[in-house]
Amino acid sequence: MTLRTAPAGPARTRRTVDPIDRARRIRGRRRMRAADAMVALVWTSVAGAVALWLAYGGLNTVGDLGSALTAAGIVTGLVGTDLILVMLVLAARIPAIDRVVGQDTAMAFHRQLGKPALYLILAHGALLTVGYAAADGSNVVAETVSLFQGPDMALAYLGLGLLVAVVVTSVVAVRRRFSFEAWHLIHLLSYAAALVALPHQLSAAGVLAEGTVQRVYWIAMYVLAFGSIAVFRLAVPALRSARHSIRVAGVEQVAPGVVSIHLIGRELDRLQTAGGQYAIWRFWTGATWWHAHPISFSAVPTASSARLTVRDLGSGSAAISRVHPGTRVSIEGPYGVFTEAHRVAPKLAVVAAGIGITPIRSMLEHSALRPGEATVLLRASDPSQSYLWNEVGTLRSMQGNAVFSMIGPRPPGLVTWMSAEALAQGVTIATVFPELLASDLYVCGPPSWADLVIRDARAAGLPEAQIHVERFDR
Amino acid sequence: MRARALALSILSSVAVLTVGWQLGTQGQTSTAPDAAAPTTAGTATTAPITTTTPSGGSTPTPTPTDGGASAAAPTSDGVSGTFTGTSVQTRFGPVQVQITVANGSITDVTALQLTDKDQRSVSISNRAAPVLRQEVLAAQSANVQGVSGATYTSDGYLSSLQSALDQDGL
Repeated sequence: MTLRTAPAGPARTRRTVDPIDRARRIRGRRRMRAADAMVALVWTSVAGAVALWLAYGGLNTVGDLGSALTAAGIVTGLVGTDLILVMLVLAARIPAIDRVVGQDTAMAFHRQLGKPALYLILAHGALLTVGYAAADGSNVVAETVSLFQGPDMALAYLGLGLLVAVVVTSVVAVRRRFSFEAWHLIHLLSYAAALVALPHQLSAAGVLAEGTVQRVYWIAMYVLAFGSIAVFRLAVPALRSARHSIRVAGVEQVAPGVVSIHLIGRELDRLQTAGGQYAIWRFWTGATWWHAHPISFSAVPTASSARLTVRDLGSGSAAISRVHPGTRVSIEGPYGVFTEAHRVAPKLAVVAAGIGITPIRSMLEHSALRPGEATVLLRASDPSQSYLWNEVGTLRSMQGNAVFSMIGPRPPGLVTWMSAEALAQGVTIATVFPELLASDLYVCGPPSWADLVIRDARAAGLPEAQIHVERFDR
Repeated sequence: MRARALALSILSSVAVLTVGWQLGTQGQTSTAPDAAAPTTAGTATTAPITTTTPSGGSTPTPTPTDGGASAAAPTSDGVSGTFTGTSVQTRFGPVQVQITVANGSITDVTALQLTDKDQRSVSISNRAAPVLRQEVLAAQSANVQGVSGATYTSDGYLSSLQSALDQDGL
């Protein structure tokens, strides 16, 4: 007879965590921390602007109504200018910011700050004029006239005018009336606005008087903001374009209105492009040099070649499809967080519509996927839109992974991202991706369509960190 | 905004504001005595005769035109000459005035230096100086109201004036 000890129930198996998933989670947490630190840095700089005034002894200057208005005017000016400098930093395409939150998110924040900054600067001018008038016992008009006397102050008023022009043209309803180029040209005036405001800050502001720490800090903030623009938007792209000397090798028609542009250049692998990223391209022909286009890589660049795929929508992108081989191309980028490096979950769910296939294709190409890890859904309103679909199925990383298609128009009168046919068959985001909640969802397509996919994913309970989206119609 | 980002923002902002506030109050206590000192009549800074000023830069050296008068201080009547007050430090720059006395009465007040730390201070000084001069000539003392909206300039102006008056024994 053999004796066995009494059973204690099934042995508890420790769930082994895949090292790749673990590394992914750690990277994700690190990015979150960095993003939080960046947000905190922005608000600390606002507090810093107020602290400049406190350190100057600003509280002691407040006595009557006039001096209180003057003090409020000084603080609004400091905070408003600080926000404008933050906006410049956000628009500078600093690699650290792009890697952590993505340039899209940074620019969304940039846009949110625009109106508050303008209102603060307007309040600055109004409060100081009223405050000074109250202190001098004069009226607002006389005070404005006397303020205009100083050359620095006249420049500051000019800066205020420019700022109003910049923000007004950027309000959505007004922006639509301008071409992108006209709007962008006006928008560049914001640099001028921030610069012409500097003399009056340094000469008229007691807070920033000569020989103070405040003055050093303030100038350092200006140098930081304008320096990052100069380095990351001008110097780095210029050097990169010169170093890689990129030219058009050929233009290949993929479908009506859709072309793949093949590029050649030196050491293109050293751009360290991750699949799913885009760059901002400028084609140096007479018809296209004045217009820079953000276009995704549709394949991961090799040492000597790269490929972009683009659909002509605007007048500018139609001209691109006619560029001749040998045309010089300059590059800003690569940018973007629509990459494998930003995954946080063990599985991968992908939805691409129309020309939105381009970053999806290069992202999948760049991913090291295990069989069964990924599920891809390709969406088109008709068969003519199935650009690059054949390539997706043959990617090495897609071996053992499912690719589904959904072709057909959306049903009229229904707010959905799916085709009428799929909807009738009872297809949902959960039936396409049974492991959705354990997946990173990558969505790329037209903005309104992509928003509907995300709506369904959120409704299914997918956490924000697992949603990755690239909205474009190019 | 995520909770951690919010907490971090609040913490570091409060820290920065506190440091700023501390610096502000410290700076104030260190400058206050400078500005207050000369107002107390007969302090050590007002030497009996002539070279009174710890002045800086372009200030002309005080030249009493009638040295005998200030030496024979006891009778206040009949004192004549020009007397330079001390240079009073304010947060917007030093203030110093010179008075002209004829037979014991103030006939003129000249501002040698006025608050000029920034453009705003200059414009305040330019507005306040003539008003203060008129008030002093009318009152024949430093005991006048001052100009509202020009508190620092007024205080400095009248302190410097008082130190000049102390010299000639008015």
